[in-house]
This record gives sequence, C-alpha cells and structure tokens, in this order.
Amino acid sequence: MIEVKNITKKYGSFTAVENISFKINEGEIIGLLGPNGAGKSTTMNMITGYIEPTEGEIIIEGYNMAQKPRKAKSQIGYMPEGVPLYSDLTVKEFVTYMAELKKVDKKIRKEKVDKIIEKTGLKDVEKKLTRNLSRGYKQRVSMAGALVGEPKILILDEPTVGLDPKQITEIRELIRELGKTHTIILSSHILSEVSQICNKVIIINEGKIVAVDTPENLEKKVSTNNNIYVTVEDSENKMDTIKEKIADIKEVKLIKENEDGTKQYILESDGDVDLRKIIFTEFAKENITIFEMKKPDATLEDAFMKLIEGGEK
Amino acid sequence: MWAVIKKEFKSYFYTPIGYIFIGVFLIAFSISFYLSVIGYGNVNFEYIYYTLPTILVLAFIIPLLTMRSFSEERKTGTEQLLLTSPISITKIVLGKFIAALFIVLLTELCTFMYFGILCHYGMPKLATTFATLFGFLLFVMSYISFGMLTSSITENQIISGIISIGFFIITWVLPEYNSSLESYSFINMFYKYTQGQIDIGDSVTFLTFTITCILLTITVMQRRKSVK
Repeated sequence: MIEVKNITKKYGSFTAVENISFKINEGEIIGLLGPNGAGKSTTMNMITGYIEPTEGEIIIEGYNMAQKPRKAKSQIGYMPEGVPLYSDLTVKEFVTYMAELKKVDKKIRKEKVDKIIEKTGLKDVEKKLTRNLSRGYKQRVSMAGALVGEPKILILDEPTVGLDPKQITEIRELIRELGKTHTIILSSHILSEVSQICNKVIIINEGKIVAVDTPENLEKKVSTNNNIYVTVEDSENKMDTIKEKIADIKEVKLIKENEDGTKQYILESDGDVDLRKIIFTEFAKENITIFEMKKPDATLEDAFMKLIEGGEK
Repeated sequence: MWAVIKKEFKSYFYTPIGYIFIGVFLIAFSISFYLSVIGYGNVNFEYIYYTLPTILVLAFIIPLLTMRSFSEERKTGTEQLLLTSPISITKIVLGKFIAALFIVLLTELCTFMYFGILCHYGMPKLATTFATLFGFLLFVMSYISFGMLTSSITENQIISGIISIGFFIITWVLPEYNSSLESYSFINMFYKYTQGQIDIGDSVTFLTFTITCILLTITVMQRRKSVK
C-alpha cells in the first residue's frame, strides 16, 4: 500500500508538484497520466525516495520514506524513465548487481536472478553487454532490475516509450501479468495504454491532481451530451425540417456529403434522451433511408483533454 | 556495501581505467627505478616512490580513478538505480572509495617485483619500505577522497578531472615557492614516510583530510536529494 500525503516539491520559486495526496491499495494498477512536464516523474521520484518532497510525507507499506528509507525502498522496484543501465556490465551481471544492492540472500541469489532473466525473456542475451542491446531489450533489462528482490510495489516510468508495436503489446502483457501479484504505478502519456491496463487513473496537470477515477468513470463523466452520428440518403431534402418533426432533436449539423449522394449529420439532444429509437421510426416515415447510425463512445482522450483544459481555465 | 565495492572494482577493469592506472604508474616507477638503481647504484626501494616521474604521473592518474565515480552515474541516470535501492548514501560513497583504494593497493603490490629485483643485488630495508607503502596509501587516499568530492559536485567528468589535477599540482607546487606553506604540503609529509618516519601528526592530517572529503561527498549527495 502506498500513501502519499500532501506532498509538494519546489525548485526555488517554481512549484513542480503541489499538494498531491492519494492512496493506492494492494494489487491495484494505477496509471499516472499527464502532459509532458506535468510532474509525473517528479511524483514517482519522490515515491521511490530518489528525491525528497519539500513538504508532506510518503508511506510505503507502513514505512515512512523519510524516517525508514531503507525499509521503504526495499518494498519498491523502480524502472526509471529512459532506462538507465550500467553500460559496461552484461545483462546477467547487471541483474546480479541489482540483486546484491537489494540484499537478496546470497544462497538463493543465483537462482532468483536466473528466474527473473527467464521471466523477462532475456535468456538469449544474458551474456551481452547492456550497451549493445536494442531499446526493447534494454527496457526488459531495466524491468528485470526492478523485479529482482521480489518487491511488492513496482513503479514504472513510461515503460513503453520508444518500443515498436509488438514490443509494446509484450510489455503490456507482462505488466498485466505482474499486476496479479504486485501493486503497480505506471506513468504514461498514451491514454489507450492506461485505459487498457489500469484499474485507476490519476490525472496530473501542472503539478496538481485533476482527477482520480477508474478509466470507465472518467469516460462516462465527459459524455454529457448525447450526440448521434447518422448517414442518410435524403432525396427529398427533409433533413432541414426534421428538427420540427422530432422535438427531442436540438440541433442538426451537416458534417459531409459523400460521393454516393448520402450525407452525414450529427444530431444533438439533451442529456438522457436516447434518440436512436425515435430516429429509426420517424426517419422511415419521412422516407429518409438510414445507412449508418452510431452513438460515439467518449474516450479517455476526451476526458483528458476536457480535464486539462478545464484545469487551465 | 560489499556489492558496491565489488562492482566498482570490477568496473575499473571492464573499462581501461584500471589497466591505465596500474600500467602508467609502473612505467613511471620503472623509469625512476632505472635512473636510481642503474644510474646511481642506489638500492633504496622507498626512494623510487618519491621521485619526480612517479609523483608527476600521480597528478594525472589519480583523477582518472575518481572522476567517473559520481559524474558518470549522474549523467547516465544510473544514480537513480543506486539511490532508490535500499542502501545508504554513506555506504555507496564508502564503497566507491574503498574500491579505488583497492586499485592503489594492487598497484603497490605490483611494485614489489622491483623490491624482489633489489633483493637480488643488495639489501633493501624492509621497515622503511613498509613505512613508505603506508605513507603512500595515506597520501593517495587524500587525493582520491578529494577527487570523489569533485566528481559528486559535477555531472561532467572532465571538469571533475581538471579540478582534481589542478588541486594536486597546486598543493605540490605552491609550497615550493612559499615556505610558509611548506608544513602543509602533502608531498613533504609523504617524504618523511620514505625516510622511515611515521609521524602521527602527518598521519592524522592525511586521515582528517580524507574523512572531511568523504563526509562532504556524503553531504553533497544527501543534499542533492532535496534540491534536485
């Protein structure tokens, strides 16, 4: 469990993170989301004990980071942004060194290191120097370094940056797998990633928390208006007057005219009314043929943009 | 702490630095050996440690040993791995310091082959030899701790290296020109050891200087946590 209580980080007069508080329960996968420079990495660096908050406290599994740093740090596996590695060590040496730093018992160290190398798919490259590895492999080595010592909490700073689509799916799969046994915080500015993996999202902008919720709830929150996209064939030009026929439609907007003579419209209505049924029956009466009708899902993208813009105003 | 010592010591040999340090020192040592033994028929082993080539070369190779220690970690970001692992900053700093000392001890061990050669031709004095080796360790230790301090304050190892070289040369040359500084000269203190004198005052001076530099390094690292 991670408890972050009112932490603030100031650099001179610049405030990077301002009065952030949240609580992460065991077994949760949390996505820390925000535009570049929002304070994601700063927050993560404070949780891992790399930097100290100017104010506030961080409690990791019951250990206060400021008072019992060693106990608190040993609960955490950290994969920093940009995957720093010791370039003159081989993969195996690197993972072994991390195990030694994390005080893995000497008797079981070799066995544990082998197991983690196996798990992260590094068996084939274990004798290579880390500087000669491709980006995808470096990412995995960094992940292996975080996993060694069996920490309860994993903190992953932008774990999929710089990977190709196949590697991204692999890493996501690995994170989801790890999520069954670990508490995970990951930061990202890729929204689809967060909505796929995380149970909870913390959106940060300009050093402040803008929202904390599940991805589904955030999506729901922003879908206030009820828009319907329709593509119709309207040979008698009745769409212009349809607003008068169906009282629930507040606004009709033409988006585009297709080459085959069909037209696409957005029909707007108030909050809770679902227009689809009424459109289906009424349009048939008016002799308007519906080619396509859909109610767009609000995405996390929308939620994000809305919250961030709201925050800036 | 042992993990840090082991890794740092090995790193000296994964990179050419360990070989360069030992190799270059032994070359300078050989030149002095040739000059004093063959040239002057001297059988003083300890004297070779206190000659111009060996001292001159030290000014350049000690910074080589220390300039990477913290700068490199900071530049590549591996500092994040080290500082977020459950090991205290004191142990990290001491670990790196001791690893560098091991390289110096290894070098001293290598110079024993010259002692062997001297034994073949004459009777070098064992007691003064040990006094010299002890003094040499203290002397180099002071510069290593200073080098590490410079490395902890900058991300650029070249800057760290230049400050260390400058410090060595200034503390070496300045007392030559100003006699009031003579008693503070590390080289002059080291000279006494090569004469077989282990001066408590000098030993304490070397140790105090070293401890101060190490404490400052720890402070710098700790302080960076709150200002970074």
